[in-house]
Amino acid sequence: MTETIGYNFLQVFFVLAIAPLYAGVLSRLKEIVQSKRGPSIFQPYFDLWKLFQKDEIVSEESSWIFRVTPWLVFVMPIFVTILIPVLTDYPLAFAFMGDMLAGGFFLGLAGFFAALAAVDTGNPYGPMGASRTRMVGFLAEPVFMIVFFTVSFVAQSTIPYIVQKRWIESPAAFFAPAHILLLIAFLMLILAEGGRIPVDNPSGHFELAMIDESKGLEYSGRGAALMKWGGQMKFLVLACIFLNVLVAPWGLAHGQATLNVLAAVPLILVKVLLFAIVLVAIETSLAKLRLFRITEFLGAAFITSVAAMVTSIFPGV
Amino acid sequence: MALIAVVAIPVVAALLCWIGLFRRYAWGITLAATWSVFALCVFVSARVAAGDRVVGLAGWLECDGLSALVLLLVSFVCAVACIFAGGYMHRAEHESEPRLWWFYSNYNLLVFALLAVPALAEPNLAWVCMELVTLFAVLLVGFDSTSSALEAAWKFAVLTIMGAPVALFGFFIMFWAFRSGTGGAWETWDALRSAAPSLDPNLLKLAFLLVFVGFGAKSGLAPMHTWLPDAHSQAPTPVCAVLSGVKTTVPLYIILRLLSVILASPAARVGGWLIGLGLLSVGIAAFLLLQVRDYKRMFAFSTVEHMGIILTASGLATRAADFGAVSQMLNHAITKSLCFYVAGIILLALGTREIESVRGLFRVSPFAGSALLLSCLAIAGAPPFPIFLSEFSILSAGVRSGQYATVWILAILIVVAFVAILLHANRMVFGKPTLPCPRVLLPATCRVAVFVAAAPVIILGVYIPPPLHNLLRLAAVQLGGR
Amino acid sequence: MLTSVPEALNAFSAGLILISAFAMVATRQVRGVLRFFVYQSLLLSLSSFVLGYGTHSIHLWALGVITIAAKVVAIPFVLRRLLPGDFYERREISQAVNIPSSLLLALLLTLVSEFITGPVVSAAHDSVLRVNVPVGLAGVLIGAYSLVARREAIPQLIGILAMENGAFFAGISIAPELPLIAELAVAVDVVLIVVVVGLLTRSIQQTLGTTEAAALSELKEEPVEWH
Repeated sequence: MTETIGYNFLQVFFVLAIAPLYAGVLSRLKEIVQSKRGPSIFQPYFDLWKLFQKDEIVSEESSWIFRVTPWLVFVMPIFVTILIPVLTDYPLAFAFMGDMLAGGFFLGLAGFFAALAAVDTGNPYGPMGASRTRMVGFLAEPVFMIVFFTVSFVAQSTIPYIVQKRWIESPAAFFAPAHILLLIAFLMLILAEGGRIPVDNPSGHFELAMIDESKGLEYSGRGAALMKWGGQMKFLVLACIFLNVLVAPWGLAHGQATLNVLAAVPLILVKVLLFAIVLVAIETSLAKLRLFRITEFLGAAFITSVAAMVTSIFPGV
Repeated sequence: MALIAVVAIPVVAALLCWIGLFRRYAWGITLAATWSVFALCVFVSARVAAGDRVVGLAGWLECDGLSALVLLLVSFVCAVACIFAGGYMHRAEHESEPRLWWFYSNYNLLVFALLAVPALAEPNLAWVCMELVTLFAVLLVGFDSTSSALEAAWKFAVLTIMGAPVALFGFFIMFWAFRSGTGGAWETWDALRSAAPSLDPNLLKLAFLLVFVGFGAKSGLAPMHTWLPDAHSQAPTPVCAVLSGVKTTVPLYIILRLLSVILASPAARVGGWLIGLGLLSVGIAAFLLLQVRDYKRMFAFSTVEHMGIILTASGLATRAADFGAVSQMLNHAITKSLCFYVAGIILLALGTREIESVRGLFRVSPFAGSALLLSCLAIAGAPPFPIFLSEFSILSAGVRSGQYATVWILAILIVVAFVAILLHANRMVFGKPTLPCPRVLLPATCRVAVFVAAAPVIILGVYIPPPLHNLLRLAAVQLGGR
Repeated sequence: MLTSVPEALNAFSAGLILISAFAMVATRQVRGVLRFFVYQSLLLSLSSFVLGYGTHSIHLWALGVITIAAKVVAIPFVLRRLLPGDFYERREISQAVNIPSSLLLALLLTLVSEFITGPVVSAAHDSVLRVNVPVGLAGVLIGAYSLVARREAIPQLIGILAMENGAFFAGISIAPELPLIAELAVAVDVVLIVVVVGLLTRSIQQTLGTTEAAALSELKEEPVEWH
């Protein structure tokens, strides 16, 4: 019991530590593919360090929501980390608290507060970004739900550990058309939720075209650091759910020994690195969609997820 | 051997037309080929009618009553159309003469594909040949390269080629049912039919549904009929005759073959569907016939009507109705090709396709006028002509099997179509000519073709030769009604 | 339940074939549609290779080779030779139905095909059948739909070919020992379709100066006025 509590902390620490690195690796990879040198992969750490050193300026007109939001954005991915398999394939001490739906709710709560806070200050770009994020959110949430329901049809559960075991135990279910469709739908969802191309450009600096970034424009100092770090963790957590539960449920620590759990760390690093390469390939080969085309993109994700459900209910599998 | 020759001769003729040296004689080659094929088909069907079973290649090319009948129809219509093409194409196409060899080469290939479908005993290859029919027909419809001809060809291509994969799916499922029911025998129509009682009725029904949708589109049945009037009005006239007379009958032949398989299976029932869809075709065509403005389109809609009648008759599924259905196939093919020759003659004489502009045809050209009157009476089903006989036998078979509602609806719709066709014919044939019309000399081959095509239409109404009657009876037995 | 590796790979490509059918509906650019069609044909041949390996059927190997030769090599080649390059750059703005609704309809068609084939395949004990037949029928129906919704000639043609792909995907599972001559004939047939329709498209382009099928609307029924 104490061990699993310890692993739980290890898991949280892992996500906290790796998330900025992952963001750095992603942007560096992308720059390399585009024949540029790009910043060091450790640049996000320097950024966070710098922001934590700086003073924080908070608008007098803003309410408590503006002050609370960075902490929520920072803490919610950590909660989710406790629930999902990052390093181990057995539930850790606090995983009983929720299933994948709960994870979705936690991330949704953070997103909700981020949108409120963006409206709070009265900065013209904030509400614009907030409304756009909400638009993406409205369209993405049904897809989330249907993906989870389909998973629960196949695995009879929404608890990520059970789902993951189900894919390992039955290669039939793993290779079924429903699963392939599910993967594609979830990948499209990650692109939308993580604010990646083709939905949003994470490296864009043009306020009018921003979707995700513009919510944090008003923050400075510690608040900005927390928002940034929270966003990076959210992306890593989504990637972990995608990789460990849906795509490649293998390679997680099975034994209870500390060594086993530590041995899982390089494996998961390799997985997320491969995923980064796929992402970079997608991002460099596609152009950012116009805002009104995003509905089509997410509509396609929705269709794919419903198709997954259809093929999983019927006798195909 | 005769059966192999039937299929081989058109291919050889097509190759000859392609070779530079013989291009100038393309028409002659085609004429010789189609008439020798017709002679062979008469020979084959005479043997079939006498009770023989004609086998070209066992398991591949075989011929029973139904396929002999279709072979006979196809070869006759194609042979006469070739005579007609001699005058029509050379006149109409004099400015692009060099392309005529291409036309004839394609025409021969179309004849080959049309003959191969009934001659083949293997259903999957019959599908392939059906596809070839469509492709060559598309090229021939678009031969004129005017914008409306191309439009017609495009609609024709898209709608009918679209049916092909659907039908292919059905053939695959039928193959599956056959293999799993018999454990890997060679699939022929006969084997399929004798194995039918032991096959999975669900699979058979699904296969029939898909083939029906796919090939129904090709034979111009009601919801998928929209390509038919366009293609049949824009194509060169000899091609129209072949398309309307037999190209629509051939996919229907495959549907009827499959229907006989379904009927042999005790658990699968599709009769009601066929009657419903058949009546839908007849109804749509009958009311569209009232409002056509183009006489070639009028004949095209009448094709839709007759396909519907044949389908309804086969849906009744009694021996007598089946006899009516196969005679209707025969009578429709010969009469409809005559109608298109006459339409071609009027087009040559007056240069217009509009019913409005054709007035007092009797005075302009007594030959064309009387031919039009004859063909319209024949296709509408007036008493001394063969279509009247077959429609009557279908209706009486319906009454005998107790399907009163079907008979009533069918009879009313036939009367509507009859009235519509004769109204149009009346306005075209009689009255005063409106167009100042130069008297054109009709090519001799066109006149000959009309006479040759009209002969069976007149004769079969009063006298059916015993071998032909025998053949019709055998074909009706193949349809498998009780 | 699926057990062996070939069956698993076949199921995998079934999912991707369905995806590529959706993608063909969702793509505007002519070039993109052609590309997804090539992917779909590659997946079809992959499926027939692995099933051929699994069932030791030489026919399926042959079918795979034919599919690659006809649909991956010959058809794009023929289309590129027949038609000028700017065909492929073209985007199709004027579809009859907008793309999200098209996708929803495609989804509905998938559902319909599962319903139609459900009672038939659930009786079969072969697991490959249970995957391939519904997906194949869905491919056929979605292809037919895109044929109706598309306005450009080439996407319409590709829709027909995609229907063919769907039929074959079901076919390789239900009739693995279909006579080889039929397969060859079908392949020749497919190339012929492309040549014929391509020629037709080119002459339409030359005569009318457009390949929008919507421009072809001269022939229709107009009621006659009775005097």
